[in-house]
Amino acid sequence: MIDSLLGLSIFFPIIAGFICLGIKNHKARGSIVLLTAVVLIISSILYLRQGSFPIEHSPGPAGDWIILVLSYVILAYFLFVAIKDFAQRGISRHNVLTIALTLAAGIPLAIFEFSQAPHTPLEVAPTLYIDHLSVIMCLIVSIIGSLIAVYAIRYMKDHEEHRVHLGELKETTQPRFFFFMLIFLGAMNGLVFANNLIWLAFFWEVTTLACYALIRHDETPIAITNAFRALWMCLIGSVGFSLAIIFLWNSPLNTISLAAVIESGAPVLLLPIALLCLAGLTKAAQVPFQSWLLGAMVAPTPVSALLHSSTMVNAGVYLVLRLAPAFQGTHLSTLIAIYGGAVFLITAILAISQSEGKKVLAYSTIGNLGLIILCAGINTSLAIAVGIMLLIFHAISKGLLFLCAGAIEHHIWSRDIEDMEGIATKLPVLTGITIAAMFSMLVAPFGILITKWGAMEAATGIGVWSTLVLVLLMLGSGATTVFWAKWIGRFLCRSPVPGRVKREPLIPLYHGILLILVGCAVVFSILIAPVYNGVIAPSLTEAGYNAASAFTTSAWFLKSSIGIFAAWPIFIIIALALLIPSLATRAKSEESRAAYMCGENVEIGTDEFVAVADERTELKTGGFYIENMLGEGNLNRFVVPIGIVLLVILFVLVVI
Amino acid sequence: MSTGWLIGSAAIAVIVAPLIGGLLRGIDRKLTAHMQGRIGPPIIQPFYDVIKLLGKKPMVAGGAQLVFAYAFLALIVTAVVFFALRQDLLVVLFILFFGSLCLPIGALSVKSPYSQLGGHRELLQFLAYEPILLLAAIPIALKTGGFPIANIFEYGQPLFPNLWITFIALLIVLAIVMRKSPFDISGSEHAHQELVRGVLTEYSGPYLALIEIGHWYEMVLLLSILGLFWVVGSLWWLSIIIALGSWFIMLIVDNVTTRLTWSWMLKFAWGAGITLVALNILFINLGWM
Repeated sequence: MIDSLLGLSIFFPIIAGFICLGIKNHKARGSIVLLTAVVLIISSILYLRQGSFPIEHSPGPAGDWIILVLSYVILAYFLFVAIKDFAQRGISRHNVLTIALTLAAGIPLAIFEFSQAPHTPLEVAPTLYIDHLSVIMCLIVSIIGSLIAVYAIRYMKDHEEHRVHLGELKETTQPRFFFFMLIFLGAMNGLVFANNLIWLAFFWEVTTLACYALIRHDETPIAITNAFRALWMCLIGSVGFSLAIIFLWNSPLNTISLAAVIESGAPVLLLPIALLCLAGLTKAAQVPFQSWLLGAMVAPTPVSALLHSSTMVNAGVYLVLRLAPAFQGTHLSTLIAIYGGAVFLITAILAISQSEGKKVLAYSTIGNLGLIILCAGINTSLAIAVGIMLLIFHAISKGLLFLCAGAIEHHIWSRDIEDMEGIATKLPVLTGITIAAMFSMLVAPFGILITKWGAMEAATGIGVWSTLVLVLLMLGSGATTVFWAKWIGRFLCRSPVPGRVKREPLIPLYHGILLILVGCAVVFSILIAPVYNGVIAPSLTEAGYNAASAFTTSAWFLKSSIGIFAAWPIFIIIALALLIPSLATRAKSEESRAAYMCGENVEIGTDEFVAVADERTELKTGGFYIENMLGEGNLNRFVVPIGIVLLVILFVLVVI
Repeated sequence: MSTGWLIGSAAIAVIVAPLIGGLLRGIDRKLTAHMQGRIGPPIIQPFYDVIKLLGKKPMVAGGAQLVFAYAFLALIVTAVVFFALRQDLLVVLFILFFGSLCLPIGALSVKSPYSQLGGHRELLQFLAYEPILLLAAIPIALKTGGFPIANIFEYGQPLFPNLWITFIALLIVLAIVMRKSPFDISGSEHAHQELVRGVLTEYSGPYLALIEIGHWYEMVLLLSILGLFWVVGSLWWLSIIIALGSWFIMLIVDNVTTRLTWSWMLKFAWGAGITLVALNILFINLGWM
């Protein structure tokens, strides 16, 4: 049974991807994507019925050989594209770094694998390792990732029609797009189940490849540049992987099994563990590597949704969470917590100054991942539980928000928040869903706020250094509120309109998918206690933490040793407080008044006022961005060095 | 504490809090008037005002505005209820923040230059005080062994002697939440600045009344949080003195200072407020307090 499930999760999407590559017909390709989504979702849920975890699985030496060969094929492809770019566009930082880092990742590993290792390929038992944490990841990838792929069927059609209309595109490139989308999902599932580090590194490279290809999809000069940036930054992680594999094999432990490394917990292994964490941080786009994820915005929106919610960046934080038991109680752990807190604060402040919607979302992603890293660094049972919860809730809400941003973009053909002023009147359903999604990132009683509450409680009273972590956490939390509230304000900002607002036509693949995800965000927040008992507590136990000292639940309340969150009563009360007025109160049209303009309004329903010399002047409003203080140009001078310095300190301390 | 007793006290809190809040507003106006050499309105004038506002014809300048006026009041009352039920302090604060956030979002949902300016400034005020208030919960939890407010009552000793540094930081928060000078950035009561009643510009009639009542609850809740610093022991009545004393200090400060810029407010709040609470946490973590 487990063989076939693994086959369905990992190989089915890859095969479906190859089939998509050959299909020119839009409907047929859409059906394949839909079928893959159904298969992935069902198989991921079936893992939960597999009885006792962990399950170990080794496909045999043939599999090891295939992985070995393919991982060098991918590295060779990276070299090929970089050299091709060098030939076409001349020398640039991006292609030089790509070549250098590919060689740095590949050559030491090749020397090790083919000459130093006792036998080629190196095998460890088990090759694949299935426990609750990897099943949680698989559920996130398979459910949210699949929904995004289904949404993309419609999105890419609109996207290409628009580009054809603009004269940028002649022939459809969708087969390639869905090829990489589906391969991405399969590789992510492989990544979360891999235990042999060589397998893990291979799937890691496949996700890098898919990410590179998808960012590059539109083939504009900026898309190509940003794709290369993503490539070389993620290759730093691959270098970390190669070195970690060599170190681990030559250490007293003499293994490349992830589970064995985590169980050993020996402090001598801190350097390879730090290298693996570095790989995680590059993939999770933590400062100073944030620019690749921001650059990835140029890709079609489903790609952003996939990168930010269910795949790519999640792989990074997953690895750090997975490794957490191995560095528990060390200085590395403390530094990782402070580092995560710093990233959370920095990105929240940077997000305030952004006027491009997707960039705000990107900074918010990096910040939330920083919060997960912070939890991994605090490294108590409570903190790890909170980290896993945030992983789940963030994936739902952020996937949802990106899909909302994409749907809005396809109505107004802009990503600028200022262009979204007052769209609540034009797209009431879509705006409503988007605002609900933003509230799910922002306020009690939604899951993400529950995890903020948990993180604050977890960081309380665990050492003198926790003071700093708490300050970073609180300040970041305040700044987060501002950029979301500001954006919600722009959506709603409008003059009174006579008559009822008409609903926009509903598009099943847009609104349907969005409503499913909103439903997930609400239901999982209410059911947080059963979700905790069902999957999170067992994964804590498997990782060697004491689940009972994280949360206890009674009557579906969540209790930590120092606090209590009455999840569903709060949900009901707040829902009543918001829903009753929004459903029961409708402003009657005779109650509408124009906004106060010192008595110089022209008339209701127009946005005009009488200015100098009785001239009718249009009223314009705009949002605060505080660019001169908090803009990227101003802050990035400090942000990138801070990130680099923190990482250097981290490694210096580890080596000492 | 029995559940019945707690629910009873929550019900009493919901009824009594606005009465205290309204009365304090009345005294505020009277005292301020005296400080400025005026006679001022009767002490129960705020109640007259609200009753009159409730009877006025509703007027709306933007659809979502009205939802957020109701939500503002409803969520702050919810926070008061959770406070009276002695729930987790962080949870009470989160619900309060959600409520407080409804005010600027409501203001931002009207296409009006004054309301927009006020709404954005209100968000900056929020940015200034939210982190201090959240951080202030930490030393309390460190001392009493947990975040539930019930713990403070079980702790058996007053918090103030160990947490007076945090208390000073909370006074900054109180000044910002009461929108008193020098922090009346988003909307001043007096003509202290170019933007009078900014965030409230577009609210009128019954909706303004809802917000006014919400403010009463908000102020009483914050004063109660200050009162927590000396709520147990034989000198429990000091909690009332502390709360009212803090409130009185705000009146004096309001009348002797002028408004400053928002960037100054932010630097001051994050600089002084956060540093004070962080020092308090550090001292507790080091075992000095």
